[in-house]
Amino acid sequence: MQAGENTGPLRIVIVGGGTAGWMCAAGLARLLVPDDYDLTLIESEEIGTVGVGEATLPHIRRFNAMLGLDEAAFLRATQGSIKLGVEFVDWLRPGERYIHPFGTFGEPWAGVEFQHHWTRARQAGEPVGSFQDYSYAIAACRRNAFEPPQDDPASIRGTYDYAYHFDAGLYADYLRRWATARGVERIEGKVVDIRRDPANGHVHRLTLASGAEVEGDLFVDCSGFRSLLVGATMGSGWHDWSEWLPCDRALAVPCARVDPLTPYTRLTAQRGGWVWRIPLQHRTGNGHVFSSRHCSEDEACDILLSRLDGEALGEPRLLRFQAGRRDRAWVGNCVAIGLSSGFLEPLESTSIYLIQAAIIDLANLIPARGGGIDPRLAAEFNRLFAALYERTRDFLILHYAANDRVGEPLWDEARAMTLPDDLRQRIDLFRASGTMPEYRLGLFSRDSWLAVLIGQGVAPGTYNRLADHVPIAELRRRLVDLHARIAAGVADMPDQAAFLARPGADDAGAGAAMRRVATA
Amino acid sequence: MSGRAIDHVAIVGRGADLWLTACVLRRALGLEVTAIALPGVAGLADVHATQPAIEALHNRIGIDEAALIRRVGGAYTLGQNFTEPGGAHPPFLHAYGAYGRQIEGRAFFHYWLKARRHGLDVAFEEFSPTAVAARHGRLPIPDDRSLSFGRSDYGYHLPAKNYAAALRDVATRIGVRSITADCIGIDAAEEGIAAITVDGEQVTAGLLVDASGDGELIDAAGQADRVDWSDQFPADRVLTALAPPLSSLPIYADIRSGPGGWTGLYPALAGTFILHAFSSRESNDAAAAERAVVLAGVPIAEIRVRPSLPGRTTAAWRGNCVAVGQTAARFDPVHGVDLHALQQQLVNLLSLFPTTTGFAPHRMAFNRFTASAFDRIRDFQAAHYRLARYAGPFWDRARAMAATPELAHQIDTFRAGGAIAPWEDESFSPDSWRALFVGHGVLPDTHSPLIDRIPPDMMKRHFRDMLAFVREEVLRHQTHDDHLSRVLRRASP
Repeated sequence: MQAGENTGPLRIVIVGGGTAGWMCAAGLARLLVPDDYDLTLIESEEIGTVGVGEATLPHIRRFNAMLGLDEAAFLRATQGSIKLGVEFVDWLRPGERYIHPFGTFGEPWAGVEFQHHWTRARQAGEPVGSFQDYSYAIAACRRNAFEPPQDDPASIRGTYDYAYHFDAGLYADYLRRWATARGVERIEGKVVDIRRDPANGHVHRLTLASGAEVEGDLFVDCSGFRSLLVGATMGSGWHDWSEWLPCDRALAVPCARVDPLTPYTRLTAQRGGWVWRIPLQHRTGNGHVFSSRHCSEDEACDILLSRLDGEALGEPRLLRFQAGRRDRAWVGNCVAIGLSSGFLEPLESTSIYLIQAAIIDLANLIPARGGGIDPRLAAEFNRLFAALYERTRDFLILHYAANDRVGEPLWDEARAMTLPDDLRQRIDLFRASGTMPEYRLGLFSRDSWLAVLIGQGVAPGTYNRLADHVPIAELRRRLVDLHARIAAGVADMPDQAAFLARPGADDAGAGAAMRRVATA
Repeated sequence: MSGRAIDHVAIVGRGADLWLTACVLRRALGLEVTAIALPGVAGLADVHATQPAIEALHNRIGIDEAALIRRVGGAYTLGQNFTEPGGAHPPFLHAYGAYGRQIEGRAFFHYWLKARRHGLDVAFEEFSPTAVAARHGRLPIPDDRSLSFGRSDYGYHLPAKNYAAALRDVATRIGVRSITADCIGIDAAEEGIAAITVDGEQVTAGLLVDASGDGELIDAAGQADRVDWSDQFPADRVLTALAPPLSSLPIYADIRSGPGGWTGLYPALAGTFILHAFSSRESNDAAAAERAVVLAGVPIAEIRVRPSLPGRTTAAWRGNCVAVGQTAARFDPVHGVDLHALQQQLVNLLSLFPTTTGFAPHRMAFNRFTASAFDRIRDFQAAHYRLARYAGPFWDRARAMAATPELAHQIDTFRAGGAIAPWEDESFSPDSWRALFVGHGVLPDTHSPLIDRIPPDMMKRHFRDMLAFVREEVLRHQTHDDHLSRVLRRASP
C-alpha cells in the first residue's frame, strides 16, 4: 500500500459510458460517501456502445431498488417489458421446447427436493406429465400473463421472480441522468494517452483528444471489448473459452413489435448458432449468434431476416467476439467491468448481471479514502470474478453439450467436446442421482440447472430414496393438487399491459420517488 | 440405472462415529443396517464438545435432548472461552451466535470497528447475546425474540463412552442389527470389499462404511493418499483426564493457553473433562501430565496421552466403502469439530445416497465435498494457531506454521478491509471468523467505507439499542445450573 499519496477524496475515473459505465457510475454514486469519493465518467460520442443484452435477470430489480428507481418510470423510459424466463426452442432437437423460468419447480416434500418426487412418480408409472408443468412462472408464460409475485413464499403466487427486457441504450441514458444529477461528473472525450506511475505501474493520468488531462486514483475500465486499461495497458491476460463456446459472431436487427407482448425471451436454435427474440414496448429485438466456422455471415443474415415476425427496422449490425475472460479484472489500480473483463454470449442474459455483480463486489472492497490501493482487495475481487465467470460459462456450455441435433456439425461437435471437470461431474451426478448441489459463489440456482438439464434431455436415472417417505398415493394426490393450484393461480392473471401502463414518476432526474433512500 | 439395488448397509466402527452413522442411515433411509462394533477406544475422560448443528441430527433420529443430557451426564455449551492465565491478552469467546445486528444491510463488525477507532470501549463480544449469556452462565433457548437479533445456538459436552452407549440403544430401538466383534476378516474385491467376516459369519452389503477410526476396511477397499496437516498444527500429543464435576457448571469450554500448549476444561454433569494439547518437541508425556494438573487447578484422574495427527484422506469413498468421521480425517482438538465433521459427511451422504451400486458419480461428489468441507474446517482451526498472541515456545512455533493459500487469502482479505471471504462448503459463520480474528487482536486496516453513509448519531442509537437488547435478553433466560437441575428432575425444562 502507498498510504497518504492523496489526502483528498479518492478520485474514481470510469472510462467508457454505455450500460457498464453508467451502471457503475450510478451504483457507486449511490453507495459511496460523496465527500470521500469523486466520481468522473469519460465517454465519447464518437465511440459507439455495444448495448449489451436487452434481456436481464431478476437481480436487476435489486440494483434498481438500491438506486431507488421508480419501476413504472423506469419501464417507460427504457421501453421495458416483463420477463419471466427464457424459452428455448429446438435446442434439444427440432420440435422440442422448454422454458427456463425465474421461479421454482414444485415444492420440497418431506425435506426432499421436488425433482426427486417427480422422478419417482414418473418411474412408478404415474401420469406426471412434464417437469415444466410444475412451474407457476412457466404456466404464466404459456398464457402470456403477468402479475407481480406475492411476498408470501408459501403461496404458489410467491414462487417466482421477474426481470425486464429493455433498451440497454435507453437504460444507460436513464442512469446517466440519474448519476449526473447526483454528482458524477461526465467528461466528453476520447482517451488518446494513458500515463502510468513508473514507481508502481499504476495508471495516474489520462489525456483526451482535446488535450484535457484527467487524473485519478482508481480507474474503472468500462471501455468494452477494447479493454483499454486492464487489457491493453495493464496487460491482463485472456482465457479463451471458444473451445466450449464456439459462437463468435452476432447479427442484430430490431423489427416492429407484435401483440401481445410475450413475458419471456425466445431463443431458437439454428444450424450454426441460435436466434434471439426480445419483445420491447416500442420494437422487438432480434439477433443471430453464430459460429463463423459453421455459418457464413450471409447465411446467418438470411436466417435472421427470415425469422422476423415484424417489419425490419434497419439493417442487421454485425458484432465479433470471442468467449472468455480476463485473467484478472482488477490489476493495479484498474478494474475492468463489463465487456472489458470478459464476454459470454447472451444465452442466459448474464451480461448485465455480471456488470452488477462486479459493481457490488467493487463497492464491498472499495479502497478507503487516503488508504492507497491495496492489492489484497484486488485479490479477493479477482477470486470472486473468476468463480462467477467460470460457473456462468459452465451453465451456458450445458445448453450446447446436451443436445440431440444429430447431423449438424456445430451441434455434433458440442456433444463430443470435453467438458470442464466441474460441469462434467455435475451432469454425471444429476444423471445418476437427480442431485444438483447448490453453490455459494455463482449465479444460477438449483432450479435453473434443473430447468436446463431436464429441458436438454438429461433425465435423472434415479431419485433420492428419502423421497420414498411419502406414500405413493399421497404423492399422487399432492402432484394433482399442485397442478390445480398452478392452473387456478394463472387462470385469472392479466397480461402485462396494465402493469406497464401504471403511472409513476416521470423523469430520472426529478420526482420525489427518485430521491427516496433505498437500502443498500 | 445400473448396478444392483442397495438395500443393506454394513458399518464397521466404534463409538459415536459408528452409532450416529447407523442411526442416521437407518432412520432417514429405512435401510437394513448392520453395525459391527469393534472394541471402543473412548475412555472415561473422553468428551465430545459439539457444534450446535448436532441438535438437528439428534432430532432426525428421534433423540430427546433432555433425556440425552441426563443419560450421559452431559451439559450445554455456548462456545469456547480462550484465555491466557496471567497473560497480556484479554479472554475472548468463540460463541455460537450472532455478534451484533446488521445496520442498513451492512455487517455490524464494520460499525464496531469504526466506533472503536473513535473511542468506543465496549468489547466485540458485548454485542453478542450468546457470548454475554455464556459469561453469565445462562442458557438462551432460541425463539422469535432472540432470532429477531440473530443466531443464538448451543452445543453440548457429551461424555464419549456414555454417549456411544446411548446412541447404541437408539440404534437397537430403531432396528439396527448390531454385532460385537474384536476383529473382522475382510474379503477384498477387485474394486472395493466383497464381504466382511465376523465370527464366521459373512456380511455382504451394497455399501459399506468404515467408522472405525483406524481405517482397516477403507484401506482394503482401495488405496488413497493422506494429506498431512501437521505443518499447520503445533500439537502432536493430546492428554485427556477427568476431574470431579464443578458445583456450578460454566456454559462454555475454557481453553487456557500455556507456554507449552493449551488445556481445555469441558464442564459436564459427569465430571470436568480435561484435554491438554502439547508437542513432543517441547515436552514429554510425564511433564505434560504435571502441567495439566497445575493448569486445571483441580485433582485429575484417568490420565491418558495419545498422539494427535491432523490430516485427511484424499478419497473418503473408495470402491463400495465410505470412510466417515475420524476414519476420514483427524482434526486438531481445539474447537471440538469431530462430530461436526462427521455430520457434514452424513448430511452430504444422505443428499446423494445411491439407490444402486452404479455410484461412481456419487462417489466423486462425496469425495469432492468431504475434501472441501474438511479443508475449510481445518483452515478455521489453523487460523487460531497462526494468529494467537500467546507467549511460549509452543505458540512461537504455532505463529510460524504454514497457511494454506485459502487461509492466507482469508486473513489478507480481512486485514485489508474487514471482509470475510466466502468459500464453498464453509461451515463456520462469518461471525465465528470475526470472533476469532478480533479475539486474537487481528483488526483490519480500515472498516468498509460504505458504512460512512450512516450518521454517527444513528450508529450510536443502534449500539445503545443492541446493548439494551443483550442485557434484557440474557436475563430472560434461566441459568445453566437451573436448566440442568430441571433436566435431572425429569421435569420439562
